[in-house]
Amino acid sequence: MPEMTYLEAIRQALWQEMKRDERVFLLGEDIGVYGGAFGLTHGMLDEFGPERVRETPISEATIVATAVGASLLGMRPVAEIMFMDFVLLALDQIANQAAKMRFMFGGRTSVPIVVRMPGGSGTGAASQHSQSLESILMHFPGLKVVNPSTPYDAKGLMLASIRDPNPVCFVEHKVLYKTKGEVPEDDYMIPIGVAEVKRAGRDITVVANNIMVMKTLHIAERLAQDGIEVEVIDPRTLLPLDTETIINSVTKTGRLLVVHEACQTGGWAGEVIASVVGSPAFDYLDTPVRRLGGRDIPIPYNRGLEKFAIPQDADIEAEIRMMVAGKV
Amino acid sequence: MAKPKVKEINTQADFDERVRRLELSDETLIGLYRTMCTVRHFEYTADRLYAAGKVHGTMHLSAGQEAVAAGTRLALQPDDYLINHHRGHGHFIAKGADVNLMMAEFLGKDTGFNHGRGGSMHIADFQSNNLGANGIVGGGIPQAVGVGLALQMQRRKEICVCIFGDGASNEGVFHEALNMASLWKLPILYICENNKYGMSMDVERVVAKLPIAQRAEAYGIPWSTVDGNAVVEVYEAIKEAADHVRAGNGPYFVEALTYRYFGHSKSDRNLYRSKEEIEDWKQNRDPIMRFTKHLLQAEVLNEEQAREVDAQAEQVILKAVEFAEASPEPDLSTLMDYIYA
Amino acid sequence: MPVPFIMPKFDMDQEQATIISWEKRDGDFVKFEETVLTVETDKVAIEVPSPATGTLARITYKDGDVVPVTTIIAYILKDGETLADLPKADITPPLSKPEVDSVSQSLTSAQATPVAVRMAKEEGVDLSKVASSGDKITRRDVELYLANQTPASRVAVAATPAARRVAREKGIDLENVAGSGPRGRVQSADVSKTAKQIPASVSHGREAEVIPLTGIRRTIAERMQQSFQQSPHIALTVDVDMTEAEKVRKRFNAQAEKLAQPRVTVTALIIKVVAWALVRNPYINASFNSDSISLWKDVNIGVAAAAPQGLVVPVLKGADTLGVGEINLRLVELAERARENKLKLEDVQGGTFTISNLGMFGVRQFRAIINPPESAILAVGSAVRKPIVIDEQDRVEVRPIMSLTLSADHRVIDGIVAARFLSDLVTGLESPSMLLY
Repeated sequence: MPEMTYLEAIRQALWQEMKRDERVFLLGEDIGVYGGAFGLTHGMLDEFGPERVRETPISEATIVATAVGASLLGMRPVAEIMFMDFVLLALDQIANQAAKMRFMFGGRTSVPIVVRMPGGSGTGAASQHSQSLESILMHFPGLKVVNPSTPYDAKGLMLASIRDPNPVCFVEHKVLYKTKGEVPEDDYMIPIGVAEVKRAGRDITVVANNIMVMKTLHIAERLAQDGIEVEVIDPRTLLPLDTETIINSVTKTGRLLVVHEACQTGGWAGEVIASVVGSPAFDYLDTPVRRLGGRDIPIPYNRGLEKFAIPQDADIEAEIRMMVAGKV
Repeated sequence: MAKPKVKEINTQADFDERVRRLELSDETLIGLYRTMCTVRHFEYTADRLYAAGKVHGTMHLSAGQEAVAAGTRLALQPDDYLINHHRGHGHFIAKGADVNLMMAEFLGKDTGFNHGRGGSMHIADFQSNNLGANGIVGGGIPQAVGVGLALQMQRRKEICVCIFGDGASNEGVFHEALNMASLWKLPILYICENNKYGMSMDVERVVAKLPIAQRAEAYGIPWSTVDGNAVVEVYEAIKEAADHVRAGNGPYFVEALTYRYFGHSKSDRNLYRSKEEIEDWKQNRDPIMRFTKHLLQAEVLNEEQAREVDAQAEQVILKAVEFAEASPEPDLSTLMDYIYA
Repeated sequence: MPVPFIMPKFDMDQEQATIISWEKRDGDFVKFEETVLTVETDKVAIEVPSPATGTLARITYKDGDVVPVTTIIAYILKDGETLADLPKADITPPLSKPEVDSVSQSLTSAQATPVAVRMAKEEGVDLSKVASSGDKITRRDVELYLANQTPASRVAVAATPAARRVAREKGIDLENVAGSGPRGRVQSADVSKTAKQIPASVSHGREAEVIPLTGIRRTIAERMQQSFQQSPHIALTVDVDMTEAEKVRKRFNAQAEKLAQPRVTVTALIIKVVAWALVRNPYINASFNSDSISLWKDVNIGVAAAAPQGLVVPVLKGADTLGVGEINLRLVELAERARENKLKLEDVQGGTFTISNLGMFGVRQFRAIINPPESAILAVGSAVRKPIVIDEQDRVEVRPIMSLTLSADHRVIDGIVAARFLSDLVTGLESPSMLLY
């Protein structure tokens, strides 16, 4: 199986889907010759031409609205928001329009769009180019929020997102772009709304997304040497959230830790925890449920400050050890 | 309070000349009259139903603006796409929406266009390419870019008509969208239905430079203004614009000046305008009254025939009310339906 | 005025006691210092003497009641006094569960920060018991205190949902479970352990006599639980050829018989050797503190013994300074007191190492749980006669072989240290004359 980066995996999905389905087109800022701010669409203009790799003015709201409008006429647009932070400029079109149209119109239409957006810190891009806003997007029924952590998941979820009849916010992570993994050349889909147990373990359930999945898996290997078996769950889709997989896991382990980069207050960990605590898994909880989110601050510029604005390996490891030891 | 600008009312000679030039048959003219009567009865009936507690929430009635709806519809092809705004009942009716289903939606019934999920503000009728009204001021304007883009990419002949009010022209997306539509030469006809007030705000208090249509100039979009209470003039202006768009020349912008009789919504107490002003528009510039006068003088129909068309229109609306009232409420078990496809 | 008879406080950190039995009844005449009732603390059963001579009156609590210390439990009417002389009744109800002292109000801001005072009040902590890390007691100090609290001072049973579920399923009263979590929170493993200790449970439809966990039983449960969970146990076993030790014991016993003294037990002999080895291996005679290790200067060896309420561990103080005979005499005396439930507080305090000998029951070998705050415990099995190779020529002889298993807290004692100690024990027991003469 060929190995490729997370970025290449997404590009391959877009490429293959545009070859397969002529309704699919890309639109966004600087996605042509420039290849997008991160080079994700590099080479696609040459292959598909300016009509299907449509470069737009800096007008995020109208980029998304254009996708919405085109989808009503049967197109399958994939819009790019250059940095996830800018999705706030387009939030009316995502939350008030795309998410609600099918419902408001009594199910007589649907809005099959994908809005790609790279989020996350770690690149020194400071407060307005580093946020993890996925939790906000989870608050709008009608949307789907997808958040892959590996190249394999990224391709499979992108193909599933484009073919999904609903508006999908496809949340990428800038730091993951360069991570590598095996990705099949084939056309395959990863079902939206299905979490994956990335590592099985009996002692504690850790639910994490994007870069935190990698960190947690790494820590889990280390802890296994000390006899602590961590079960790592990657929701992969945040909305709809696969609470069943998480609840089943917690029923087994009796312990739940949720780790995300997004600011802790109002972060999706709260949603996971509430789902578990309110489920039959409650009776299996043997430590307080815990969450490790980003600090409640805008992402700072300085390298050191930026690093410690989000959970670090040592934080996650210490938290797991404390919980498994029954010390919290 | 700014006094309404008194417009030169078109003379019978103008009217006759225009009808001849535009080759409008008597049947077509009576059709315009019928449409306007239907819209007006719909709006007044909806208001009565609201007073009777049968319509839930709020409503944005378009009585007084019927000529824009009727004239626009006549200038378009049946398959053209419509992106509508919150005060859009007239446009839906003119475009041929089933008033039974509309009224049922007003009453929140399962038989309504939206299965009772949308109410008066979100009527959509995808079978007649009516892509829906928007509760967010200006929310539909950028979506029209997408509709226009799809039409262009699909090499189709239809155009997208995007209607909005004066207030929406101050939203940021208005400017983003006009820029993009012009840049890509999209087949979009923008119609700004300027009814003089954005809720309580007189257009002169919120738009730095009038007319609103001249904003299109900045984006390289041709524009015109028209007396929105003169239905044949509306037809003429929109037809000219639509032809331009359909010919592949990119977007066009028409501003229709009109006036609404009811308040902005049901909570409006009309504190920002005088009774005299409202009465002036009703007595001297009402689009139906003016059109009727012209039709009578041109002997397209006589008073009795005019009354009969009006009565027929009223009957259609009363039947719609009967249909709506007899319709079932949505089953509560369907609450979670229609969220995801 | 009648003399109030209060529940005495015997120990610094004692908060209540359980009344085992009243020896006297209301109206009985009692003499000053005469035993009136027996109570049980977490550690020992104690006879409570009368504070005065007179007539016992208004006994307020009955057998089995748990009573906070300093509570008035009765009065002594002196000569000429009648019930009418008693003060108006103001009776504290007995505790259904352990309770902490009320917040010490005498502590002022001079000794604790306002936050610490408020927190102590909210958490029901007696600030006088909280150790200060600086000039004043801070919130952190209170938190540390709370974190180190044993379940004995819990107000309500804190338990995880999983623990509650397991307790429900197994029909176990959480009150009887010692919690190993922070602030004594009961976790599911605690309940499972307790469940194993109660062989038949009601929920299985079999009949069982349910023994509530009180006093010593509860203390044993909590301490063993705590020890086993907090100190990483390592266990090492050696075999000792007891041929020489048996010979020495025979000689001692021959002498003891002449002097009409009790026979010297194997345990006494082992204590002597252990005391010697502890002096040589100070890390075995130590305690683990969270940030330091105490190497004890005294060698005080506890000997696990059976008592009516359960396990007690009387302590032989200064065992390294005593001869075998003396050790034996003290041991016999302590064992006697333990059997009669008459151990004094000082008899069970201050141990630095414990020996548990189950050899007399035919147990060949076992592992014991360390008795905190000690760092190691020696489990002594029975001496079994079996053939072993005794020299380089592979000659086989039948010899009495005894297993010694040392459980050690790995935080203090490395495997090699434990091995060295055991090696010393083997040397001492296989060549006892070296130590004894």
